[in-house]
Amino acid sequence: MTLRYASNAEMPEGLAVRIEELSLRYKINVESKMTLKNAIMRAGRGEKRRVRTIEAVKNLSLDIPHGTVMGVVGANGAGKSTLMRAIAGILPPTEGRIIVNGKVSTLLALGVGFNGTLSGRDNIILGGLAAGLEREELEERFDDIASFADLPNGFIDMPMRTYSAGMYGRLAFSVAVNMTPDILLIDEALSTGDAAFKEKSFEKMRQLCLEARTIIIVSHALGTLNELCDKALWMHQGNALAFGDATKVTEKYLEFLNVGKVPSALEDF
Amino acid sequence: MSSEPEALVSKIQVFEPHKASLPAMGPYIREFWRRRRFAFELARFTDKAEHLNSPLGSVWLVLNPLLLALIYFMLVTIIGGRGSAGSSRFDVLAHILVGLFTWYFAQNCMTFGGASVTAGGKLILNQAFPRALLPLSSLIGAFQKFMPTLPVYLIIYLVGGALDSKSRLPGLNWHLLWVPVMVALVAISGFGLALLFATMNVYFRDTSKLMTYGARMWLYLSPVLWMPDMIHGWHRILIWANPLGPILAITNTVWIKGENPSWTLWLGATGWAFGLLFIGGYFFVSRERDFAVRI
Ligand SMILES: Nc1ncnc2c1ncn2[C@@H]1O[C@H](COP(=O)(O)OP(=O)(O)OP(=O)(O)O)[C@@H](O)[C@H]1O
Ligand SMILES: [Mg+2]
Repeated sequence: MTLRYASNAEMPEGLAVRIEELSLRYKINVESKMTLKNAIMRAGRGEKRRVRTIEAVKNLSLDIPHGTVMGVVGANGAGKSTLMRAIAGILPPTEGRIIVNGKVSTLLALGVGFNGTLSGRDNIILGGLAAGLEREELEERFDDIASFADLPNGFIDMPMRTYSAGMYGRLAFSVAVNMTPDILLIDEALSTGDAAFKEKSFEKMRQLCLEARTIIIVSHALGTLNELCDKALWMHQGNALAFGDATKVTEKYLEFLNVGKVPSALEDF
Repeated sequence: MSSEPEALVSKIQVFEPHKASLPAMGPYIREFWRRRRFAFELARFTDKAEHLNSPLGSVWLVLNPLLLALIYFMLVTIIGGRGSAGSSRFDVLAHILVGLFTWYFAQNCMTFGGASVTAGGKLILNQAFPRALLPLSSLIGAFQKFMPTLPVYLIIYLVGGALDSKSRLPGLNWHLLWVPVMVALVAISGFGLALLFATMNVYFRDTSKLMTYGARMWLYLSPVLWMPDMIHGWHRILIWANPLGPILAITNTVWIKGENPSWTLWLGATGWAFGLLFIGGYFFVSRERDFAVRI
């Protein structure tokens, strides 16, 4: 973890997240498998490790004020999930820095349920403890989480491998929003819930916005984003192509999807 | 800054590229300690999940080293023939047994700890927390599996010693008060090994497979199947160069000989334990920021 606790002076009042010239690069092994055997065989042949560098996020700067609901759109592989993981402090930046003011709760590609043999209840407790919550605090919130997720009868105590994708998503969302986060990060989690649950989660998110909490949502459902977000960011191959009013950005993005070309005029939003 | 209330200060987090090889260790250890509950619960839940898969699991945990000890005992007595003059067969069995129980504690740390990070994939990708909590949880799990073997051993040790007229086992004696210290030293060594192999496993996924052979070899080179007093002169390097050698020799001295272990043995065991902890800890913590990218 690249944690450093700073004084309040570094961050202007009212900002939830400040991203300064952020770049993130992945180094990918081109080889099939990372094993000691392969490494030794390669050394024996005198070869070098072949790596490819992928720039998932390129020189991104962004200020997100408190209470913003920001949508992030972009093609597959644009770097959206990478950006979210960086804001959550999971991936350390390669360059630049991120300042986050507040408690971050992540719903990145469904955070809970990492252990399929354990019940939903156990997974919630483990996930919460890892996030730094107290056991007592978790037990207090447990009823809220369970009743919000509203799983079919008794499923909360069933192993999570028996869950449907939607049930999985409901629980994950319910955990994330009930942790009273200051900053909520959601990565493609709304797509699996049914219509009733979607409506409920919108309601919850609106409520969180009213409490001046910050929400960042990655989604491919532009309609949803327009409905929920006041700001949007369009990413393309690691670059921020547009940032601003949600409806305007999604409109431009739609246009791009139809035309298939990046409008050059957008380069400097 | 120290005058500011903690909550106010810790609300702002800065994520930067890591230039130094280690993160600031103060905040790291504080966060690690604050979330230790997670490691305990993870160990408990993992245990629970195992039990759901095989209800007899905990019986096997004791039975497995016990049966192995019997097999090794037969091998040793067959190969060794009559054995050294006058020494009781039961004493040899008691030595092998306590050595194996201790050994399995360390080996479980290595195996479970080695897999802990690669098995925690989803959690690592989606949650920021001090990753050393995962091997810590393996240590706790291994400890919980080790504890029931102690009373089992004590019963065998006392009953067998009383029944075998040739046995020279000391029985209950004051030196057994060292046992908690010995267990603590094995635990510290085990945590170091867990950290080390967890990191290795992230980079080389075949580590755990190679480790099963490595551990077997290591066991044969350790004073478990043979008595530490059987080797002399420069051969004793086998004990000192082995990270678990001194502690296993101490185990033999206390349980089988009923003597006070020499201070050189204590020095060796303590040195290895903290050496492993620092090496493993450095290796792990300096690399853990890459784990999310590599899993
Ligand atoms: N763990 C990883 N290791 C190596 N490269 C990665 C890893 N995760 C993502 N990448 C690369 O980084 C780039 C951005 O990926 P990212 O997951 O951020 O995209 P995304 O915008 O979330 O896409 P999607 O809409 O499909 O979810 C991609 O080119 C991808 O190949
Ligand atoms: Mg993604």
